[in-house]
Amino acid sequence: MALVLMLPLGYVVVAAATTDLAVWRRLWTTRIPELLLNTLSLSAGVAVVDLILGVSLAWIVTRYRFPGSGIWDWLLMLPLAIPSYVLASAYTHILHRDGTAAHLWRLVAGPDASVFSPFSFAGAVLVLALNTFPFVYLLARSAFQRFNVAFEETARATGAGRLAVFFRVSLPVIRPSLMAGLFLATLYVASDFGAVSLLRFQTFTHAVYQQMTGRFDNAAASCLSLVLVGCAGVFVFGERRFRRQSRFYQTTGRYRPPVPRPCGPAAALLLNGGLLLVFMAAFGLPGLLLIRWTVDAVAAGEVSPGFVGHMWNSLSLSGLTATAAVVCGMPLAYAATRRRTWAGTLCAQGAYTGYVLPGPVAALAVLVVVSHLMPALHGTMLILLLACLVHLLPVALQGMESALQQVTPNLEEAARSLGARPVQSFRRVTLPLVRGGFASAWILVFVQCMKELPASLLLRPAGFDTLAVRIWLEASEELYHLAAPPALLIVVITIPVVLLWSGALAGPGRRDTRADADAADADADGADADAAGATGAPSRAPTGRRFRRSP
Amino acid sequence: MPVAVCAPALLAALLAGAPAGHAGDDLVVYSGRAERFVQPALDAFQAESGIAAQVLTADSTALINRLHAEGARTAADVLITNDAGSLERARELGLLRAHAFPGLETAIPARFRAPDNSWIGLSGRLWVIVYNTALADPGALLSILDLGEPAWNGRIAIPAAGSVYLQTGVSVIRAVMGDAATTRFLRGVKRNAGSFVFEKNRQIVAAVARGDVAAGLVNHYYIHRHLAQHPDAPIALRMTDQGERGMGLILNAAGVGITAHVKREHLAAAQALVKFLTAPEGQLLFAHANKEYPLNPLVPAAPGLPPLDHVRIADVRLDRLADLRDPTMTVIETVGLR
Amino acid sequence: MPSVAESPVVLELTNVACAYDAGRPAIQGISFAARRGDVIGLLGPSGCGKTTTLRAIAGFEPVAEGEISINGTPVAAVNRHVPPERRQVGMVFQDYALFPHLTVRENVGFGVRRGPAVDRRRRIDEMLEMTGLTDLARRYPHALSGGQQQRVALARALAPAPVLLLLDEPFSNLDPDMTYRMRGDLLRLLNTTRTTAVLVTHDHEEALGMADTVAVLRHGCLEQCAAPETVYHLPASPFVAECVGQADFIPGAIRDAVVHTPLGNFFVPPDYPGGPEVVVMIRPDDVRIDDAGPWAGTIHSRQFQGADMLYGILLESGDLVHGSAPSTQLLPLDARVRLRIDAAHTVVFDRHAERSRCVCKRDAARGRAPEGIRD
Repeated sequence: MALVLMLPLGYVVVAAATTDLAVWRRLWTTRIPELLLNTLSLSAGVAVVDLILGVSLAWIVTRYRFPGSGIWDWLLMLPLAIPSYVLASAYTHILHRDGTAAHLWRLVAGPDASVFSPFSFAGAVLVLALNTFPFVYLLARSAFQRFNVAFEETARATGAGRLAVFFRVSLPVIRPSLMAGLFLATLYVASDFGAVSLLRFQTFTHAVYQQMTGRFDNAAASCLSLVLVGCAGVFVFGERRFRRQSRFYQTTGRYRPPVPRPCGPAAALLLNGGLLLVFMAAFGLPGLLLIRWTVDAVAAGEVSPGFVGHMWNSLSLSGLTATAAVVCGMPLAYAATRRRTWAGTLCAQGAYTGYVLPGPVAALAVLVVVSHLMPALHGTMLILLLACLVHLLPVALQGMESALQQVTPNLEEAARSLGARPVQSFRRVTLPLVRGGFASAWILVFVQCMKELPASLLLRPAGFDTLAVRIWLEASEELYHLAAPPALLIVVITIPVVLLWSGALAGPGRRDTRADADAADADADGADADAAGATGAPSRAPTGRRFRRSP
Repeated sequence: MPVAVCAPALLAALLAGAPAGHAGDDLVVYSGRAERFVQPALDAFQAESGIAAQVLTADSTALINRLHAEGARTAADVLITNDAGSLERARELGLLRAHAFPGLETAIPARFRAPDNSWIGLSGRLWVIVYNTALADPGALLSILDLGEPAWNGRIAIPAAGSVYLQTGVSVIRAVMGDAATTRFLRGVKRNAGSFVFEKNRQIVAAVARGDVAAGLVNHYYIHRHLAQHPDAPIALRMTDQGERGMGLILNAAGVGITAHVKREHLAAAQALVKFLTAPEGQLLFAHANKEYPLNPLVPAAPGLPPLDHVRIADVRLDRLADLRDPTMTVIETVGLR
Repeated sequence: MPSVAESPVVLELTNVACAYDAGRPAIQGISFAARRGDVIGLLGPSGCGKTTTLRAIAGFEPVAEGEISINGTPVAAVNRHVPPERRQVGMVFQDYALFPHLTVRENVGFGVRRGPAVDRRRRIDEMLEMTGLTDLARRYPHALSGGQQQRVALARALAPAPVLLLLDEPFSNLDPDMTYRMRGDLLRLLNTTRTTAVLVTHDHEEALGMADTVAVLRHGCLEQCAAPETVYHLPASPFVAECVGQADFIPGAIRDAVVHTPLGNFFVPPDYPGGPEVVVMIRPDDVRIDDAGPWAGTIHSRQFQGADMLYGILLESGDLVHGSAPSTQLLPLDARVRLRIDAAHTVVFDRHAERSRCVCKRDAARGRAPEGIRD
């Protein structure tokens, strides 16, 4: 099964390797350096903004107590529910030369002042950072909540000031979590297609799509894909190494969690204001715009008559993909966590190639394979399903693996020694324990698939427009009020999932004492689990904790 | 491991229950043309003939790649694109089917059709310069090549390299002026446009209207469309390269073809659709919806459009566009347009 | 094992070897047998292969060489592998491996699947009763203390009435107090049910105190397998000697069939095979601090052990011996003392035979903070 997943990548590699050198030379002189620079600088820019936003918000939320602090805890997760292309559309509108923002700015800065164009590096950084900072925020928040204040107290006792303690102790200690968050954000940026193409910022993922839709052969697209996959592969490999090395950071036994400090009314107002600003920028404003456009569209009777059909298409594609991902992922995840054999490891690693297969590349890869091996699949739902599967299986796999990791092999062995056959042991012990984790893996794939764009654009059968495709078609014509209803629907469907997922990474308040003692090793695994979905919400299986609460 | 056994079975079961992508009876149209300029004509066709059509909208090139990949199994019966070059390319790849029907000869002039009628032009579109009346002097724009001059540095907007309009335009310029002049032109344009490179023509027109730039390269109807919405917009259309020695305007055609692998039971319906689109009623809906020039000489141009009769058109046959395309792409990429 | 000599052999390992990587055996040449009701203690430092041996018996590791029989039926050999669920072997894991999604009662009943429902229920009740868990039957594992969890694990393993019970360091997660009580409970339970057990441990007190036979493993090989008294008093090697208790080795030389040492002369045991340069093993209880003793030394270290006081005594020869004395008598450090040796057995090893110190330091093992106490 892993072969099915690795095959597409293999074909891309072969296609790129057999491409005429002249094509390579042309790409090298005209496209690759620019794309490399753009992709890297965009990733770096977003990472910096994410880091600043994510860490400071997490610090405020975990370390200060003020009216409203509880709400921000989860409100700040909501930006993950907005697809990047929707946020990009909203900002092209907000930062429009004749938009409200521009008018307001001119009042402040004089008639000749202009707001910066969203169609720029800064615009792309802004949109993608607002879209991805919750990754860093979420992981930093849970790291701060689990933080052993003894570290800070020790540092204070040796005479370090508050600020020094923050930079020399608090930040370094949660470094693995920050890295995991940045890793997610960076992969998201590198594989994003919707926002960069709407903002006309040239990255590899965007360029692959352009080459696929602008040329009559896929040679150039394959070449660019290979470079992208190579870079991403190095990145993923490096991140895994780093994570393995930094395990020791949080392996303390018992600890005292930090106690939030209460604030005065002025400070509370200030903090609330700051948080509100970020929230409005990342979620509130775009959300309000979507609602307004939707109301306009409904009032004008312009909602597409196919709306229900598109919704059904989205739901069935996402449902099928999620089911297929969980079903295919189960043996793979099992093999990866239980059978440390050469083949098992290869299977799992093979499936992770999906990490580095952004939507257009996955679509290209599947397209190439299908035309060589199974031309009958062309123009069917199956080829689209296959592309979504290749693209999203790692998300499922990561979630299921972390769920399986929490079931120690001892449990299965105990079942065996008590007379259960392997099948029975799986059914009576493993399955009940991982069910929650598998369900959350399913949900995550489902939501990711709802937002999936490039593969659907390239591979959908005739008459099979999804909500995402409709948003894209309308938004690229700048018919925002037509794009808004499907966008709003996706956001509404996604919100509960985002909250569910962030709840799975619950803070100490929701743990009992037993779980606290486990926090140390849970955390070490957490970094693994948290580095889940390549392009979206990662998965921390809630299973392990669930059974520790009183029945 | 039983899961390994169950998984494929379960997957197969799920897929068997998956909703089909399209209803089996409907005509399937692959369209590289914006949906709202195709749908009205198809609706009228359905009202007249009772034949419904499913549309798959995507980029023209992507559709042709897809048709090619799908081969005999394609669901598509009819291909519509906004670019004659793409249609000709599809013909060369054997993706289209030659056909004829009585009255075709008179409906669409031969120069807007493939020699074997495997594709038929429906509406004409001119690649022209839009300029901001406050910022640009039309007198300085005698030829489209003028946009490559240093005087326009930072003042023009151009389409992205993936745009078939740009590719067609450059193909025509190459055919008439040669590679060296074209390369020079493109280098100038690339420098002059800077970051004002747009995926969509409407964005170019909007940028010119806002005054972000003084001029831009677009298809003519985008100007009319913008003016219809914003009558006061300070933009105008400039028809370049006229006069005795001028290259002439670059004209491209949107057209239609029946796919080589059209389902047998759909062939009659597909032919009926093509016939409908070339007839006056279809022409009006198809071309006028978008302020394009109907190619059926019996149908007048939409009000407000300068009649084509008096305009000099570059003398490059539409069916040459396909062959010109690949070397054009190489030129475009060598120059480094994105 | 004279008391159970008439009982049938339940477990027999013949020359067993296991290997995780081919060519690098984790254990090899392991042979021992257990009769019905026996408790075998597998003792050794971590990494010596004792857990591997246990897992091979349970059926979780394939056997690369040799044969394992349970109740006379071969269950594991090179080309034979009876799966764990068909070996009728109960196992108590180091971390107990209680099923977190099942109550105590459901855990205990997990392996009780045969027979009419009434009988099954009665069996579960019986096990709960026997382990004192009746009141906790409806709780989930996370709501139990460590000792309670251990009892659930035990009850669960015993409930299907296995012919053999395997215990993998069952007390290592308990605090010392609890360990002491649980050992008694376990022995009683094994006695009542006449269950044969194999107990893996790195604690020599546990092995000596509970097992009928102690098997000491080192680097995957069986170093000695004998009754606890034999292993303690007549260890087969310095390694075994150190593994089962405090031991000092005083150098000496054999002349005229007598060992001459700084602590006097000893007879050479008749079966001693080695060369003339030797060491003599001295246990702390062989050393008597006695003003009339023939040997002089100074108190070098002192460790209070409850009933006894363990003194490290530096001899004039520069050798160090440990001696225990009643803790009622307190000697200050650096005090000069006299002592005599009062040994029932003389244990002599060749000084040049390969000798490495036992990795499992008893003090380290005993003093180790138990991990993850959750009571």
